[in-house]
Amino acid sequence: MTESYKPSLQPWQSGEARESALRVRLNRFMGLIQRLVSNPTTVMGLAVIVSMIGIAIFAPWIAEPNFPDPYQMPRDWGAVRKPPGTPGHILGTTNVGGDVFYGVIWGSRKSLQLSLMVVGSTVVIGTIIGSLAGLLGGWVDEVLMRIVDVFLSIPELIFALAIAAVLGPSFTNIVFALSVVLWVKYARIMRAQVIQTKQNEYVDAARVIGDSKLNIYLRDILPNSITPVTVQATLDMGNVVLIGATLSFIGLSEAGIAEWGVLVSEGQAGIASGRWWASTFPGLMIFLWALAFNLVGDGLRDALDPRTEGR
Amino acid sequence: MSAASQLNSDRSPPGCLDSLLSVRNVRKYFPIREGALQRIVGHVRAVDGVSFDIRRGETVGLVGESGCGKTTLARCVSGLTDITGGGIYFDLPHKQAILLGQLSSPNAEGGPLPGHKQELERIDTAHRIDRLEGEAGRRFRRNCQMVFQDSFASLNPRHLVFDLVSRPLRVYREATGSELTERVVELLEQVGLGRQHLYRYPHQFSGGQRQRISIARALALNPEIIVLDEPTSALDVSVQAQILNLLNELQSQRNLAFLFVTHDLSVIHHMADRVVVMYLGKVSETGDTGELFKAPHHPYTRALMEAKPDLEDESSKYEFKGLEGTVPDPARPPRGCRFHTRCEFATESCGWEIDDIVRCLEYDPAAFETLSGVERRSDFDAVLTFDDAKSANRLAEMLRSGAVPKALQDSLSKLELRDRHVSVAFEEVDEVPLTSRGPGRAAACVLDPSVIASGRNG
Repeated sequence: MTESYKPSLQPWQSGEARESALRVRLNRFMGLIQRLVSNPTTVMGLAVIVSMIGIAIFAPWIAEPNFPDPYQMPRDWGAVRKPPGTPGHILGTTNVGGDVFYGVIWGSRKSLQLSLMVVGSTVVIGTIIGSLAGLLGGWVDEVLMRIVDVFLSIPELIFALAIAAVLGPSFTNIVFALSVVLWVKYARIMRAQVIQTKQNEYVDAARVIGDSKLNIYLRDILPNSITPVTVQATLDMGNVVLIGATLSFIGLSEAGIAEWGVLVSEGQAGIASGRWWASTFPGLMIFLWALAFNLVGDGLRDALDPRTEGR
Repeated sequence: MSAASQLNSDRSPPGCLDSLLSVRNVRKYFPIREGALQRIVGHVRAVDGVSFDIRRGETVGLVGESGCGKTTLARCVSGLTDITGGGIYFDLPHKQAILLGQLSSPNAEGGPLPGHKQELERIDTAHRIDRLEGEAGRRFRRNCQMVFQDSFASLNPRHLVFDLVSRPLRVYREATGSELTERVVELLEQVGLGRQHLYRYPHQFSGGQRQRISIARALALNPEIIVLDEPTSALDVSVQAQILNLLNELQSQRNLAFLFVTHDLSVIHHMADRVVVMYLGKVSETGDTGELFKAPHHPYTRALMEAKPDLEDESSKYEFKGLEGTVPDPARPPRGCRFHTRCEFATESCGWEIDDIVRCLEYDPAAFETLSGVERRSDFDAVLTFDDAKSANRLAEMLRSGAVPKALQDSLSKLELRDRHVSVAFEEVDEVPLTSRGPGRAAACVLDPSVIASGRNG
């Protein structure tokens, strides 16, 4: 377009400019998506995640919500210990008449809540703490990292278990316990990334321009440091459900709620007497959930690898 | 009065004396830390008392080997690195520059008078770049920009060219919307790029083009001075020439001042009005480019020129020799003239010291192995103890025979061999100061320029 070379300014020019900047950024994003979906295992993982989230969202339409609290398992005392295929209870019932199908469907909501809340809070806390340590250095870094060391010195599961046990059995306490335990990982990753990124010359270039410290952090340091955190967060979306289920399994969640770990725990007594279904179906869901996020996390790591990105 | 301000009063006609940027006795020491407690065990003296001025529209070339402190100094000048001592002043009027030279002169015994202290304080808060605040700070920040050596590392890989070049304008809220876009296009066109490059990422460009983007970014705020830290060192020769020509053009269009840091003398020859030659954190020679290249007053300058294979001029009067030896440890710079360890013109008055004997011993591993202790009374006087008398004897022989530089031999004032001990002493020599050698010219060398011009000593 030759008009665009006119020195006079037309209002549409900036509109066009924004549009093409957007297009270039979109292209870059599409490139990332392309690299992601070129990996078949990642596509499998994505498919599983999408369907799980679909189930979680549409749970009220798939399995009629229990009244008054849909997260409580419905009890059908007339149909106790029914095997899969029983009319009305397609995946069978537990030994207290809970519908396994209902538990599997509504349990995906609980898992999604758990993962999002735990990963969300830990990423935010870890990124802030790690950034502060990496940016400020000196004694701030020293103090923060020694605190992180204390947290890291206790095995994740045992630490979470201890906290949840002290606070008493409830789903909220599991969320809290996992958040307390898992933020340190992000703090560590973020600190290392920030220390590396802040030495880049483009940070010096921004300082020479005279941009504010906050702007330099937000525009230069954070976007170039966050990639490993993204990958770790994706992997943790799966791991959190695994650990959460473990805590639920040993009874640190409310009894009788539609949560996969609780269901596995309540069903495991029946396995010896041949009633495999009450534990197996929720167990399978836990397995699929964790596997799917791990597959996507791995794919994301490959797709975001700076050696393959953007060239 | 410091050498640099002397140069000022010597050279320029009245009226053009105000310098844009005044570097005064700047020092930058990096602490060396050791052990679990990170105790400071010494300092690397990257920049150790450097003074010079940059005036409006002129190019000052800063040249030296790797590790001589030129990049550190460039970072200090652009405000990226804090300085350990001295001061860098922006837009210092000539009168105040002279005053500053008088007030902070080491001759003023007993420290500055109370009135002077106030005067110094006033100059500092108004002109010293690390003391500027508010509007004055912003004015310096806008007017002093920098272009880095590595064009890839200095451009944020996630930003589009538009983001990169418009950023200075956005920081100072100079333009928004379509005006911003047009300003960026204008800047890109000035550096030989165009509208079609607006929405691309840095990795989509060649090295030369990326350096053009950096230059456009540096020009955005219409600065008075740009610090160029080896802007062409990473480029191949043909692209180098294009970038240098671009810089020359921009300079004449905008009356820009450049601090041009490089290790490449031909680039300096092409670009600079004045040259500052640095060695081990100190200025060894400074002068107008033409005169300095015609007749170097410091052996280091000559050695650098000899190290440059010159294709344009095959009848170059210096043969290609290059510099021998390595740069000494900047944490323990040599006494006297810092270059004496590698200088082919070195005389007995250049500051030979105990460390030089140890350095000579290093070339003789058998003797060096048996050296068990050096007991120093000063840097110039020590007793070297060996494991056996044979080695001690060998060192004494070495020092008496021609195995060590003749100048070192000549400057020995004491050489005693007692069993396993060799006690040696040299004449104590002060640091060789930078002295004025005529208008705009200064060198830190004890020798007469004619000796350096005529060739090898002795």
